[in-house]
Amino acid sequence: MSKSPWIYHINTGSCNGCDIELVSVITPRYDAERLGFKLTGTPRHADIVVVSGPITAQSKDRLVRTLAQIPDPKVVVSLGSCPRSCNVFKGSYSVEGPLDKFVHVDVSVAGCPPKPEAIIDGLALAAQIMKQKKRGQK
Amino acid sequence: MKFPYLKEAVSQVFKKPSTEKYPFVKKEAPEHYRGKIIFHPDRCINCGLCMRVCSPAAITRTLKETDEGTQVTMEFHMGSCTFCQTCADFCTRNAIEMSKEYSMVVENEDDLKVRGTFIKKAPAPKPAPPASPASNLGDSPSSPATPNNKEA
Repeated sequence: MSKSPWIYHINTGSCNGCDIELVSVITPRYDAERLGFKLTGTPRHADIVVVSGPITAQSKDRLVRTLAQIPDPKVVVSLGSCPRSCNVFKGSYSVEGPLDKFVHVDVSVAGCPPKPEAIIDGLALAAQIMKQKKRGQK
Repeated sequence: MKFPYLKEAVSQVFKKPSTEKYPFVKKEAPEHYRGKIIFHPDRCINCGLCMRVCSPAAITRTLKETDEGTQVTMEFHMGSCTFCQTCADFCTRNAIEMSKEYSMVVENEDDLKVRGTFIKKAPAPKPAPPASPASNLGDSPSSPATPNNKEA
């Protein structure tokens, strides 16, 4: 990895389970920062965007606007079952998901919530895709 | 002069880091972890109970009529599953099993689907009842053949 991929996390109506697991990846026990991953507070600095939650009607506009602010090349990671398929919320009047309606999902991490180890695997794959995208291979 | 926590401070210097070396050293999930589903199509009897109890409707079934019987394909979408194990608990034939595999990371959504196909044979046609002239009013000889679940 030539550069550290910075992560931006969007919660689009998640139950907070996936969010806790993502934050635990940054803690000393799993410590993804030793591999270069860093959580950033603004989408303008981000390389990898991690989306959790089934995309509620309230968060849809914010999601689309935030995704537009992330500079290309970006890698979109769907965290857990919700952004992939809306999970138990599918068919709800207030859910606008799944995520691939709005943006191409590069990496899906399955689990409800995924284990931190699985998230590390997902981020590693996202970093690999990032590298390919920067070289114009993808 | 007394140094408080001196022993603790020295012991910390020689301690191993608490960080897990995960991507380099693989780790096994704890006992009874509910991970990726393993489906045994040879045990399934196509009762459909798993689909009824699945709250995110992650299980779908496709039926196809063939010469040998009905071809049943069960599909478990891991990108929709909540890993609650209700389907495995309700399965009377233990055809659904939760494995310890936790790392389900894919680029293509199709790779998240666990499939299994089997052929359910139709029950053998009942032998024609012997024609008895002294049949009573209640039982008609041409009763429809009841599906026999033990056959599958």
